[in-house]
Amino acid sequence: MGIQYLNEHLMFGKIGNAFVVLSFTASIVAMLSYAFQVYRNEEESLSWNKLARFSFFIHACSVFGIISLLFYLIQSHYFEYYYVWQHSSTTLPEKYMWACLWEGQEGSFLIWTVWHVVLSILLVWKGKKWEAPTMMFIMMIQVFLASMLLGLQFGDIKIGSNPFILLRNHPDFANLPFIHLPDYLAKLKDGRGLNPLLQNYWMVIHPPTLFLGFAATAIPFAFAMGGLVTRQYREWVKPALPWTFFGIAILGIGILMGGAWAYEALSFGGFWAWDPVENASLVPWITLVGGAHVMLIYKKNGTSLFTAVMLLAVTFILVLYSTFLTRSGILGETSVHAFTNLGMTGQLLLYMLFFIVLTIVLLIVHRKAISNPTEDEALSSREFWMFMGMLVLLISAIQITFTTSIPVINKVFGLKMAPPVDAIDFYNSWQTPLAAIIALLIAVSQFFKWKQSDWKSVAKKLALSFIIALVVTIVFQISVGFARVQHIILFMTSLWAILANLDYLIRVLKGKFNFSGGSVAHIGIGLILLGALVSNAKKEIISENRLNVDLGKDFPNKENILLYQGDTLAMGEYYVTYKGKEKEGIHQYYEVEYLKANHNAGGFTKEFSLKPFIQLNERMGNVSEPATRHFLHKDIYTHVTYAEMDNKNQVDEKGYKEPKKHLLAVGDTIVVSNSLFVLLEIDKAVDKKANALNENDIALGLKLKVTDINKKDYFIEPLFIIRGNEKITVPAEIEKLGLKFDFTSIDTQANKFEVSLSEKKSNSRDFIIMKALIFPGINILWIGCVLMFVGTWIAIRKQISDLKREA
Amino acid sequence: MKKIHIALIVLIAILLGVIISTVSESGTYVSFKTATEKPDRTYHIIGKVNLQKEFIYNPEKDANVFGFFMTDTIGTEKRVLYNGTKPQDFELAERIVVVGKMKGDDFIASQVLMKCPSKYNKTGEEEGGEWSNGSQRPQ
Repeated sequence: MGIQYLNEHLMFGKIGNAFVVLSFTASIVAMLSYAFQVYRNEEESLSWNKLARFSFFIHACSVFGIISLLFYLIQSHYFEYYYVWQHSSTTLPEKYMWACLWEGQEGSFLIWTVWHVVLSILLVWKGKKWEAPTMMFIMMIQVFLASMLLGLQFGDIKIGSNPFILLRNHPDFANLPFIHLPDYLAKLKDGRGLNPLLQNYWMVIHPPTLFLGFAATAIPFAFAMGGLVTRQYREWVKPALPWTFFGIAILGIGILMGGAWAYEALSFGGFWAWDPVENASLVPWITLVGGAHVMLIYKKNGTSLFTAVMLLAVTFILVLYSTFLTRSGILGETSVHAFTNLGMTGQLLLYMLFFIVLTIVLLIVHRKAISNPTEDEALSSREFWMFMGMLVLLISAIQITFTTSIPVINKVFGLKMAPPVDAIDFYNSWQTPLAAIIALLIAVSQFFKWKQSDWKSVAKKLALSFIIALVVTIVFQISVGFARVQHIILFMTSLWAILANLDYLIRVLKGKFNFSGGSVAHIGIGLILLGALVSNAKKEIISENRLNVDLGKDFPNKENILLYQGDTLAMGEYYVTYKGKEKEGIHQYYEVEYLKANHNAGGFTKEFSLKPFIQLNERMGNVSEPATRHFLHKDIYTHVTYAEMDNKNQVDEKGYKEPKKHLLAVGDTIVVSNSLFVLLEIDKAVDKKANALNENDIALGLKLKVTDINKKDYFIEPLFIIRGNEKITVPAEIEKLGLKFDFTSIDTQANKFEVSLSEKKSNSRDFIIMKALIFPGINILWIGCVLMFVGTWIAIRKQISDLKREA
Repeated sequence: MKKIHIALIVLIAILLGVIISTVSESGTYVSFKTATEKPDRTYHIIGKVNLQKEFIYNPEKDANVFGFFMTDTIGTEKRVLYNGTKPQDFELAERIVVVGKMKGDDFIASQVLMKCPSKYNKTGEEEGGEWSNGSQRPQ
């Protein structure tokens, strides 16, 4: 008989485990049944469809069952479950409960699975003849994803990680003595909790959106593969198009939400830092955009089918690769926010390799049927320029992937390459020119007609927007100005992209809403590029520390500035004051006030105040979060980069802090907070009577000159006395300056003398180290995001209505 | 020759450029010894912070210099001067990566990456932590 543990709720775990197993087996049955439906004759396929739908229904119910149960366990704080203990705590605000669900790997696989199921319901319901071929592949993906939750161990091989594992069975806990007490739960008190860095509303909305985007890339992939296996090589493109645009819209918004989060709450100092995890989600979006454009070429023109299939497959595989990068722990040393390794690297690798091999085999088998007709596209055709755009996107994707994959390349080839020293600059130096070419193509492509167009008329139509863009760029360059040529070029081309699309919308489409999707989305992209460029290239650090001694070219960074409580410093057009701090729960807020000089009346008027904070979290470490003041044309970002946390320095009864030791030779000068002091000479003939010393004492004195900030000099002499075997020191104090000098030791070899200097605590005022940045025009970027999203939705509607019209 | 072929050739040429530029721009993980031999090159060094020795941080004098002692993977200890503020909870960093170059006997770091322990990881696995960026270089 084992130990009877108290207060456990094991029932839920048992049901949960049943769901995990059921979702896995049902996905296998559904996959096989759909495969039989595809490959068997008409009559049989109907009964296979019934079985397939039934097992999909079971799979869907189990997946929803798992996520509901897990959420219920988190809500109820059942810490006997490791996942609940690891990712939540009783002190966590209600609004972050969802975030706990997907903080861990298991939960993030789960949310991904859930989205596949949700999208699959649409496929089953509306897919008609495409139900079986697409669902066959979706279920294949689900088999792999469901296996990620199995948590089976065969010797060294681990299949999946189970979210319902009990705390007392987890390897981290199983060997701890307290875990074998019947009332171990009472001793546990609280869960480890959600990482404070992630306690943010973005954590509630960003991961599910991103995973919906990831899930959405599987659908066009399934259409393309389904088209191959059913030999409906051409028919799949049209029904897949709305899904592709859906993926672009959702994944795009998911990525940008991550950027907004980084910008607003994390101290990246910008919205995009080319972090490997960010890159890993951006790359599939780029290839999906490429894929969608090639699909449009095919829809109009009947060419480039092979490329379309390939890009959709590449997109899906890149999504898997991104999961592999972030979850295998391989990024370890290069990324700010990679997941920890759960020992599933092999499984993730297998997952990815399976789909790579499957895609390659299918592409080879069916290559003849989907290869291009041999005719060449005209240079003056729209499809040619769209195809070029796709190639540029591909280059961009490859450059990002290659650089991000350095740790993988190291692993495979046994190298020891580190990421580029200035990674952000390296990425920007590649991506800025590529973005400029993309912007150029966005501007001009749609003015070309399909098949062939008249060069002169294209040029005529483009002239107006080009001239405006050129004039604005010249004016901007003269008045504000960029330092780098590539910035000027990107400014001009993205501006042209916006104007040309606006022009197209007004003059060519005449504002027809249904057809406006492309133009609106492209204006959005243009604005995103423009906003990213201006806010980044014209970013201004106003907290620059001009007072510091120049430390030379080795220390170029002066962006952090010290601000004493009550002091006011000029920063940019503002004067900034640190008003004080206050504690609210686990947040230590610092009030930073922005003032403007009042020229008429003199003095300052308050403009606004910001409260950046440091989250105090004993268990996970302190996290500092910036505060930002938003204006229409700029944001002022304020971040406390360092502050002395609580009062670590104990004071003695007279108010002195712990002494600091200084080793000096004669002539040395030391700077302290409110003065400086020099060791003038060693007094070997100390007046014993005046200092009430014994006749036999050996005494040494240090003659010190202390100069305060008002250039007033004080002369003092702390003593070092040897009385028999005893060492006695007589410290010297300057009340007025709150300084106490103690002569504590002698280094006879180096001829140096140790002074222990204590300062009164009241000497040091509270201060913060902060930095303040101005991001101009960041709102252009956010408006661009909205337009990109809206435009893509209009395009989805258009594609769906095209489909309906044909049916 | 079709235009598409020309495009593909250009594509391949640019890809070669990508690979070459990445490899040439990439950093190298080395020890302090190698960095001392080539003081003009910027390197990545992995190591441990010596918590026995005091950190050097006098924000009142200069908020943008933070010094500490670090032992690299082969056991050499050097003083590292980082051009930035003292990162939050630097004391908790198990392993760190510094990026910079040697100057005299000091390593001048432009970036510091910390790996913080997951404090409840009893097995003390290598992967059991999260990396956080201690540096925010201006872009």
